[in-house]
Amino acid sequence: MTQNEVNIVNLLETKLQGKNVQIQPAQLGNATIQANGGTHRDVLKTLLDADEKTAISAITGLDLGQNLGILYHIRTAKAFLTIKAEVPKENPKIATIVDLIPGATFHELEVADLFGVIFEGNSLSGHFVLSENWPEGVYPLRKDVKASEVKLNPAKNVEKSSENDNVVKIIIGPQHPALLEPEKFAVTVEDEIVTKVEPRIGYVHRGIEKASESRTYLQDVYLVERICGICNAIHAASFVETVEKILKTEVPPRAKYLRTITLELNRLHSHLLTLGHACLEIGFDTLFQYFWRDREPIMDLIELTSGNRVYSSAMTVGGVRRDLKETDIPKIKTTLANLRTKIPFYKHTYESNSSIKLRMQNVGTLSREDALKLCVVGPVARASGVDIDVRKDEPYEAYGEIPFKEITYTEGDTWARMNVRMDEIEESIKIIEYSLDHLPTGPFRVKVSRVVPAGEAVNRVEAPRGELFYYVKSNGTAMPERVKVRTPTFSNLPAFLKTAIGGNLADVPSNFVSLDPCFSCTDR
Amino acid sequence: MAKKKRALSSYITKEAFSSIFKKPATQKYPFVKASVAEGFRGKQIFDIEKCISCGLCARDCPANAIEMVQVEGKNRPLFHLDRCVFCYQCADSCPKNAIQPTAFFELACIDKKTLVMKPEPVPPAVKQPT
Repeated sequence: MTQNEVNIVNLLETKLQGKNVQIQPAQLGNATIQANGGTHRDVLKTLLDADEKTAISAITGLDLGQNLGILYHIRTAKAFLTIKAEVPKENPKIATIVDLIPGATFHELEVADLFGVIFEGNSLSGHFVLSENWPEGVYPLRKDVKASEVKLNPAKNVEKSSENDNVVKIIIGPQHPALLEPEKFAVTVEDEIVTKVEPRIGYVHRGIEKASESRTYLQDVYLVERICGICNAIHAASFVETVEKILKTEVPPRAKYLRTITLELNRLHSHLLTLGHACLEIGFDTLFQYFWRDREPIMDLIELTSGNRVYSSAMTVGGVRRDLKETDIPKIKTTLANLRTKIPFYKHTYESNSSIKLRMQNVGTLSREDALKLCVVGPVARASGVDIDVRKDEPYEAYGEIPFKEITYTEGDTWARMNVRMDEIEESIKIIEYSLDHLPTGPFRVKVSRVVPAGEAVNRVEAPRGELFYYVKSNGTAMPERVKVRTPTFSNLPAFLKTAIGGNLADVPSNFVSLDPCFSCTDR
Repeated sequence: MAKKKRALSSYITKEAFSSIFKKPATQKYPFVKASVAEGFRGKQIFDIEKCISCGLCARDCPANAIEMVQVEGKNRPLFHLDRCVFCYQCADSCPKNAIQPTAFFELACIDKKTLVMKPEPVPPAVKQPT
C-alpha cells in the first residue's frame, strides 16, 4: 500500500466511523468503498470537503443478477477511488449525486437509460443515449436483453416550436454543416444570444460495450480501437492495460516505450487536426490547410511504424504487435524536427492574427470553479487552470520516466484551449524524441493466456481529448463480462452547455470545436 | 507598435507567398501512384500449400471476415475483404505463416462480391525448370 492509499483510507475511516461502509484498499484504483443504503453520498461529501479537485470520472452500471451494481469512479488530486452501491432490480432507486457534483448529470442519465436505474432527485428525464422510439422498460445493457429481440416503436416527431417571437429554437444537428458527426443540440436564442442548450446524444450509438461482451479479449482490442477513429491507439492501449491489470502481467520495458511513441504520434495528429478544424469553423481556411498539410507527414509516420495511416492496431495484450526498426528512427526524427520548425509560425499566427483573436478570445470562457464543478478533463480543464493530466498524476506506460511539461493556461476561453494543444505538440515531439533515444532493448511482447481469470480492474489514460476511463470485469472465460468506457468528450460536454449560454449564436461552432468533440467516442 | 503588428501578421503572408514557388503539397493521385511504407497492411495473400486447416485465423478475426470453406475435402479460409479491417490478426495467429502481407490497397470497386478471396485449390505440382 502506498503512502497515498494509507492517507485516503485513514481519512475515510476516521470521518465515516459508525456509517455502513467497508473500505478495501488497493482495489479498483486506490481503494474501493462499499457504500449501501444511501451512504455513497456521505463518502462523496467527505471526499469533496477534503479536496477541491474531487470529481466524477464515470458511473458504471453492472447487472449482478438479482441486483444492479452502481460504481461511482471518483478522482481526487492524488487518488482514484471507486464507490460501490447496489440496488435491487425490482426497485432500482438510488439518491442522486448531482447536487454534490453537477458534472455527474450526464453520467446518471446514461446509466438510467441503459440499466433502468432511477436516480432520485435528478431533474432531467427521458432518453439520453437511446432513440426516442426505444420500447419502454427495455434496458439494453442488462444481461437478459438480446439485441436481436428489441422491437422499436414507430418514430414520432417531438420538436415543438416556441411561442415568443424573439425567442427562437434552433436545432443544430444531427445533420449540420458545422458538425462533422451526427449529434443534436437544440439551441434557444433570444435575438442573437443563446439562452439554453439541450443536448441529445446517441445518433452514432453502436452498442460497442454490449458487443464486446460477445467477443474474445483478443477481438475486443480491435473492437474498442474502433470507438474513435482519431484517438484509436489510446482506446486499444487503455483496454489492454486494464486486461493486463486483471492478468497481473508486466509488459516488457521496450513495449512500454513503443506504446508511448505510438500514443504520442496519435496525440500529435489529433491536435494538428483539431487546431486546423478550429480555423475552418471560424472561416480561416488558409491556416486550416496549412495545419493539415503539416499533419500529413505525421500520418506517414504512423503508417511507417504500424502499417496503417489511421488504425495503427499496434497494441495487444502483453505488449505491442510489431517492433520498431532501427532504420526507421532517423526518418521519424527528421519528420519531427521539420514539424518543430513550423510551430513558431503557428504560435505567432494564433497570437497576432486579428481574425483569430476576435473569434476565439473571450469566447466560451470557462472559469476554474466551473471547470472543477463540471468535472471537465484534458485540455479543456488545463485551459481553465486545473492542472490535471493522467500522464503526470498516475503515470502509465513509460510516462513516469520521461521528462515533459504539463501545459496550463488560465484564460479558459477557446483561444486558451487551442493554445494548450499547440504547446502540447511541442511536448509530444520531446516525448517521442526522448523515447527514441532511450529505447530499451529486449522483447516487445510477452505471451499471455487467452482466458482471463475472474476479476475486475479500472484504468485511466490521457487521450488527446482528456482522461479516458476503462472498466473491465472478467468472469474467468475468454470473453469479458462487462466493459465500460467513458470517453473524454462525454465529460467535456457540460462545459459547452455552460459556456454557450450568454454567448453569441455565431460563436457556437468555434466554442464547440474548442472541446475537440468526438461523438463516435461519446456514443460508443 | 504598428511596425511590430505588421511584422507579426506578415508570418502568414510570408508563408502564403513562399508557397507559390514550392511544389504542391498534394499528389495527383490516380496519375502519380501513391507510395506506401514498408510493412503496410494491404490485401493479404493466402498460400494454400502452407495451410494446415487449423481455423485459428477464422476464430480470431475481429470482423468475422474469414469463413472456413471446404476445398477438396479440407477446411480452408475464405476472406471477405469487404468486411476485413486489415488488422492482420489472421497473419499473426497463423502458425504456418500461410497469410502474407502485400502493399496493395486499391480495393475500391462497384460490386462488393468481387472482394471475396476464395482459396484456390492446391495447384498440381509445378515442374521445376531443368
